[in-house]
Amino acid sequence: MLTWTIWVSFIGAGVIMLMKPEKKDLIRWIALVVASVGLLIGLFCFFTYDLGGSNYQFGNGDGVAWIPQFGIHFKVGVDGISLPLVLLTGIIAFTGVLYSWNIEERLNEFFGFFFVLIGGVYGVFQARDLFLLFVFYEIAIVPKYFIIAIWGSTRKEYGAMKLVLYSFAGSALVFIGALALYYTADLPGGKTFDLDALASANFPVSFQLWALPLVFVGFAVLAGMWPFHTWAPTGHVAAPTAASMLLAGVVMKLGAYGCLRVAIMLFPSGMTANVTLPLWFPAGMSGLVIHHFWSSVFAIIATINIVYGAMVALVQRDFKFVIGYSSVSHMGFVLLGLATLDLTGLKGSVMQMFSHGVVAGLLFAVVGRMVYERTHTRELSELGGLIKAMPFVGGVFIIGAFASMGLPGFSGFFAELLVLIGTWRAFPWLLLPIGIGIIITVAYTLRTIHKAFFGDRRNDMTKWDHLAPVTIQEKVASLMLVAILVIVGLYPPILLNMVDKSSDQFIKHHVKPSISGNLARQ
Amino acid sequence: MIPLEHWIIVSSCLFAIGVAGVILRRNALVVYMSLEMILNASNLALVAASRYNGNLDGQVFAFFTIAVAAAEVAVGLAIIVALFRLKQTVQVSDVTTLKL
Amino acid sequence: MNSSNILHVLNLLTPEIVLCGLAFGVLLLDIIFFRSDSVEHRHEQLGCSVIIGLVMVFFIYALQYMDWQNTFVVGHGAFVASRLNTLFKMAVVGLALITVVIGFKTPYSTHVGEYYGLMLFSVLGMVFLISSEDLLMIFIALELISLTLYVLTAFQKGARRSVEGGLKYFIFGGFSAAFLLFGLSYIYGATGHTSLREIAGALQGDQLAKVPMKMLGIGILFTLVGLGFKIAAAPFHLWAPDAYEGAPTPVAAMIATGSKIASFVALTKLLLIGLPAAAGSALSWPTRWHSGWAGTVAIIAVLSMTIGNFAAIMQTNVKRLLAYSSVAHAGYILVAIVAIQASGVPAPSAAPAIYFYIIIYALTNIGAFGVVNAIGSKAGGDDFEHFTGMARRSPYLSLLMLIFMLSLAGIPPLAGFFGKFYLFAAAVQADPKNLGLLWLVAYAIAMSAVSLYYYLKLTKQMYVLPAKDPRRVTSNPAMNTSLGLIGLMVLLMGVFPNKVVERFENLNANPYPIWEAAVPPPPQPEIPVPAPAEKPAVPAPAAPAPKS
Repeated sequence: MLTWTIWVSFIGAGVIMLMKPEKKDLIRWIALVVASVGLLIGLFCFFTYDLGGSNYQFGNGDGVAWIPQFGIHFKVGVDGISLPLVLLTGIIAFTGVLYSWNIEERLNEFFGFFFVLIGGVYGVFQARDLFLLFVFYEIAIVPKYFIIAIWGSTRKEYGAMKLVLYSFAGSALVFIGALALYYTADLPGGKTFDLDALASANFPVSFQLWALPLVFVGFAVLAGMWPFHTWAPTGHVAAPTAASMLLAGVVMKLGAYGCLRVAIMLFPSGMTANVTLPLWFPAGMSGLVIHHFWSSVFAIIATINIVYGAMVALVQRDFKFVIGYSSVSHMGFVLLGLATLDLTGLKGSVMQMFSHGVVAGLLFAVVGRMVYERTHTRELSELGGLIKAMPFVGGVFIIGAFASMGLPGFSGFFAELLVLIGTWRAFPWLLLPIGIGIIITVAYTLRTIHKAFFGDRRNDMTKWDHLAPVTIQEKVASLMLVAILVIVGLYPPILLNMVDKSSDQFIKHHVKPSISGNLARQ
Repeated sequence: MIPLEHWIIVSSCLFAIGVAGVILRRNALVVYMSLEMILNASNLALVAASRYNGNLDGQVFAFFTIAVAAAEVAVGLAIIVALFRLKQTVQVSDVTTLKL
Repeated sequence: MNSSNILHVLNLLTPEIVLCGLAFGVLLLDIIFFRSDSVEHRHEQLGCSVIIGLVMVFFIYALQYMDWQNTFVVGHGAFVASRLNTLFKMAVVGLALITVVIGFKTPYSTHVGEYYGLMLFSVLGMVFLISSEDLLMIFIALELISLTLYVLTAFQKGARRSVEGGLKYFIFGGFSAAFLLFGLSYIYGATGHTSLREIAGALQGDQLAKVPMKMLGIGILFTLVGLGFKIAAAPFHLWAPDAYEGAPTPVAAMIATGSKIASFVALTKLLLIGLPAAAGSALSWPTRWHSGWAGTVAIIAVLSMTIGNFAAIMQTNVKRLLAYSSVAHAGYILVAIVAIQASGVPAPSAAPAIYFYIIIYALTNIGAFGVVNAIGSKAGGDDFEHFTGMARRSPYLSLLMLIFMLSLAGIPPLAGFFGKFYLFAAAVQADPKNLGLLWLVAYAIAMSAVSLYYYLKLTKQMYVLPAKDPRRVTSNPAMNTSLGLIGLMVLLMGVFPNKVVERFENLNANPYPIWEAAVPPPPQPEIPVPAPAEKPAVPAPAAPAPKS
């Protein structure tokens, strides 16, 4: 049944694409219906997910043979890790449609591309076959180009092309890795792309050591991993509001999800294996042994993400760039949680994906839709004093910013806390730079709130007198996102229970055996 | 009997001269004659090899090649004439409307 | 099964005879009956009769395809009739049909009968090229294709671009034909046979010692150069952009699709049936690299992908862009050709992958050329600027172009994606234990990531930039329908490729396979093809005959 989220999106895209662009209101309402169907199915499954039942639910069992010559199946299903992300996609799609209510130009094409993208994202989160996952992953790439290049703003064609080429280069790495692992996997049931079967394939450690970085980096490009993050700020800034929300809220999670579901699940030993670097030392040592080589490397890179993203966000002059770099910084937490390979860290990582998805959606909506389309400037130095003119917008932004800072009471708090606990267990020495990063996060968030909504121009009110009032659609969508932040923040078990269960399964089945096996070998 | 290598060497020389002509000459007609020379180099190799292999396939091949070369003459000259009508030149270096 | 009964041979050749008759018939009809009519009228009459004739030929092939279980070999392989070949012939005839439809009523010249006649003769050449397994027939069929296409390229006698494109195509093509012939003459000289299967026999086991290896090596090298021109592989691609740009668009479509299919089939057969023993290996340089054609083809593949993709980035003419993209695609296909014999035995899915890809490639490209023709003839040219804002001037054609471009770039769920996956998977499969060809596949995948840039650049013109000229562009219903069908097929073959794959894999492994001679002897001999060190400055091969 959950599969219908995919089909409804694709069918909706086709129907809207074929409609006359002049029937704008009809198109908007159809888009809203399509998005809400996805959201409702997601919600229904979210609340009926059986915590005592099997790990993967709402799927189609062992799948349907799709291209049997290559062992490719149409196999779907969600566990406690992917279900929150499916729900997140529904939320962002629904609110994205509401925030796009004011788009007038080529509306049918806009929502057409929008729902192709959404359908692809739904597919990635549900796929349990590597080939299927890859297909959906690539389907999600191209619509982004058109959405940004046609309806975007600042340097839109450059931003769009950069984003698409980065994504496609990343997926090329994944493609190479997928072909290599497909032929390397020695399975009793023959060659297959079935992720569960591949996860039991026990790839040779020497293979994992080069295939893991290939696949991990390939996916992590889309998660905004340093130094391949540069597409993210330019892409986010260039994109129209709904697309920024999707990009930061969902698409970046695709990358992180791929890292988890493909790279770590198939190559856990690659993460934990020790590597001897061929350095020569005077005292007869043969080289420098690094324990948990790739895991450490990715943890360090994730820390760089956190600190670097925050530092760059601190010095931005453009409101949207601040949010763009803050996304890079927050995705660092997601990657860090994955790199710890620790149950708590992993849970935190999944929580952070959900939480940051909602927060980023909210913040981009405020900046791109509610502020920029009224003031026609995003320069922080030209904004200021907006709180009087738009108290609702200011309030929403402040709540979102606090959630993004990780204040208790909001979803981000738990997520980051869990990631930090995981990091404490795995890489305690990383906590110092991360602490600095968190302080900088507070600094840039407060600076942005101050500059945009308060600032020196607090008393110079005439400038913002002419601003259009906030529409009902914007209010509904904003309140919805705020409500989710608060609900998850005040009652995390609503999400944490299922995340906990599936993360536990994930660690138990995929990571633990490899660690013990690895230790036994040494 | 003259050994096969001698024939092969002569045919290689003809081939090399033909290739040099195609690459170095600027006149479309001369280029065209050089092409024919390469075809004849092949014919020579075919006939010689046919003699040494003891079957007639190569000689049949050579006959067909001659016929094909004749057809190529017809087509090639027609194109060169069409070019001359348009540009009053048969120099390859003057054919520059299309960038390379 | 060898056929010597003349009636049986004629029976096998029915569709080819009909095709030949059709070609002459069109010429005669034009001269005898329609000479005095207006050009447009002649276009209608002759175009319709050609379409009817081609549909008939297509159905005869379809009947043969359903009827046959065996492979019939006429005259040591001069004509081989098999289901696989028939499938390709159906593809070529179908592409010719589409070419006629997309070029319908766009008069490039007053010589209507000759236009259709030459087109049919080139189809005849393609059909014979597909079914020949003999050096002589390969050469003659290739020349038949080439000679007709030279004329068709230069068909707009009054247009400089057309004639210059024709001249360049002719000079490069003639040069390549000469290379090919020279190479074939050396292969014949070295092995003493013209039939591919007999050549393979002459290279088997202890026969091999009698073969002058340097001569064979040079022959193979020159043949590859000659065929490399035909498939527009770099560095032999220089004619392609000019010929594509200069030729009337339907002719360019023919060069890019039908002639490509036929040439690739010929190349695959030549290497797989005739010369499997000389494959060498291109696995994991340098330790497992043995000289042979595989290494040469690998180098050509790398060059084609690099030059094709990077040169395409700089193009501002759609036809030139398609030309360079076809160079790149030739490179991708060559990757699988390298794999075909990579580890001593034929890779099981390499040949089907090549067939699948060339069909997909031809289908996508003929669709793209169809759109270019439809838009170009209305908008006044095929430069990028003529396509600006086309998404609003002609949403239908733009959507189709988007599908074709994304399929060429390899975006799922379109056919191009699965085609590439199949090609590259087959290439890796050639040596699954050591992933010996992964280096080449990785390069190909990286290059196809580059290719997305220029395909998006074209679609950007159509979708992103505003139209300068708001008038709508429409095309005739026949064209719309056929292009729509192609678009649908590209989509369906991408979503459900399993049926087509199944077909190709079955045909490739049927009990009377066309490739039966390709199975090499169990002890695979090491091929001492000339080592680079002892390469003579002048290609003067010394046959190792005893010095008297």
